[in-house]
Amino acid sequence: MLTEGVGLADLVCDDEREFRIHTRLYNDPEVYAAEMRAIFETTWVYVAHTTEIPHPGDYKTTTVGRQPVVISRHEDGQVYVLLNRCRHRGAAVCRMESGHSNFFRCPYHNWVYRNDGELVGMSQASGYPDDFDKESFGLVRAPRVGIYRGLIFVSLSKEGRSLEEHLAPARRYIDLWSDRSPVGEIEIVPPPHKYPYPGNWKWQAENGADGYHGNYVHQSWQKVLERAGEAPVKEIKRYREAGAAIGLEYGHGLLERPGGLNPASSWTGRMMQTFPDYADALRTNFSEEAIEAISARRNIFIFPNVYLFDTHIRTIRPVSVDNTEVFLYVYALKGVPDLLNQSRYRAHERFYGPSGFGSPDDIEIFVSCQTGVNATGVEWVMLNRGQHRERIENGARIGHSTDESPTRAIYREWKRLMKRGVAGSAAQEMRGALA
Amino acid sequence: MHSLRDDQVEVRLPTTEEACQLLYFEARLLDERRYEEWLELFTDDAYYWLPMHTDGETSDPRSHISIIYDDAERRAERVYRTLHTPVLDQSPPSRTVHFVSNVEVEPATVEGAARVWCVQLIAEMRPGGPSQAGLGEPRWFAGRCEYRLRYDGEAWKMALKKLALLDSDRPLYNLTFLL
Repeated sequence: MLTEGVGLADLVCDDEREFRIHTRLYNDPEVYAAEMRAIFETTWVYVAHTTEIPHPGDYKTTTVGRQPVVISRHEDGQVYVLLNRCRHRGAAVCRMESGHSNFFRCPYHNWVYRNDGELVGMSQASGYPDDFDKESFGLVRAPRVGIYRGLIFVSLSKEGRSLEEHLAPARRYIDLWSDRSPVGEIEIVPPPHKYPYPGNWKWQAENGADGYHGNYVHQSWQKVLERAGEAPVKEIKRYREAGAAIGLEYGHGLLERPGGLNPASSWTGRMMQTFPDYADALRTNFSEEAIEAISARRNIFIFPNVYLFDTHIRTIRPVSVDNTEVFLYVYALKGVPDLLNQSRYRAHERFYGPSGFGSPDDIEIFVSCQTGVNATGVEWVMLNRGQHRERIENGARIGHSTDESPTRAIYREWKRLMKRGVAGSAAQEMRGALA
Repeated sequence: MHSLRDDQVEVRLPTTEEACQLLYFEARLLDERRYEEWLELFTDDAYYWLPMHTDGETSDPRSHISIIYDDAERRAERVYRTLHTPVLDQSPPSRTVHFVSNVEVEPATVEGAARVWCVQLIAEMRPGGPSQAGLGEPRWFAGRCEYRLRYDGEAWKMALKKLALLDSDRPLYNLTFLL
């Protein structure tokens, strides 16, 4: 039976041999509400890529935890993240997913804001006294916005690690991911693929760096590859043994497959062979050793809501305890031949998205899990695979490619943040920040 | 039946009845999961295309992704995957009902093919046990279709099936049955 009166942080049991998490993490609305406060509305959350809002006036809308936000680029070139709510009576001031506007006008009573949040004015202003303090009634700005290699993050808390500190454990991998472009830049190609699923957000957070499920969930995909003459199933299974599953500090992690420049086994090798311009550009900018490091295939998770994949940036948007939306922002590598990017788009469609040959099989598992954990007669979900054999290097826990090291990393950070949240500090900080 | 000249080639236009016959037949093949026969309805150079809306247009596959952009090889792969591999996302398989309506044959040809417009409404459900998330709920998909048809001397073939779903740019759950 469930134990009453357990603190939220205790729902993750960081046991040396039997790391486990409580079923309530997936189906308890109270735990979900606490996650929104203590994680999503406190720590750094990915919201957009700079190429989605390249010009002054460009904007995009999304949510950070439960807070609807507008991410806008002002004429000063800066990116602002604003709560999407008129300070008067609460109407949303921006209703599109993306677009271009230097001002946001509330449709209810015509209050007008600049895209940095400043209140320009109220209609029929004589209804307010002359000393009405317009300056304190702008759209509320997120206290901290940070950008690393085009990735825009926001924190709704004034306190806590700097973005630089937050990303430090994963920085090397973000760099390698970006440097697959010879100029080190990517460009988002909208629209993104989007899928919802009736399940908790963490199923997706866990799965992207899980190297254990591939041989079972993606059996069908392996058969497709075999039929296409790309690789026999046996060989794919061997490939899936190779590489490492790595849990990083602060909740990040990755699944890494070996690189190399052999066209038969490496995507980078194949592209360099097919597109000599790409090979030349890489060699001009990077050493042979660096190109090899770049060529390894990685699914990189940045806690709590974004994955960097080879074809796309994947964001996870919790909607409720048992509903989630996932957006797959496909991107172009800058400085490479158009045909190379086109081949990436086709490869993406083949595996990912609502009609891909891979994603829907994963999602089927997420909903099976969500259904299964209704059996609350079992309290714990086990995440101890490979604990006895992982090694620790500079804070990174490196496991066999099928081990659950990245998943454990997620829950260590979850536990840390929930402990703060339970103590009330994060919630107070939030109120302070948004006051 | 009438015909038009297109790039010096005589191109036959289908009557509305002929177009409807083909579209209804396709709908029935899909609903009966006769996917391998469905493949036969396409010309070798045809695309089966579910684009996404962006800025009021449907996305250009050369510079954007689509939900589906299948040439002959990818179509065959899709059918093979669905019918002959251990897919989880079609286990249990979808039941579908395709409605086809508003059929119009354009009195002109495009790239050597007749253009036919219609709208489709597709009902789908995967059966399952009680309380299984994602199963047992009927879903509805509406969309506008553009077909390009060519007569190969014996039968009308589809040189393009483009289906722009009403909600192509919204989150879409499991579209692994054939629309």
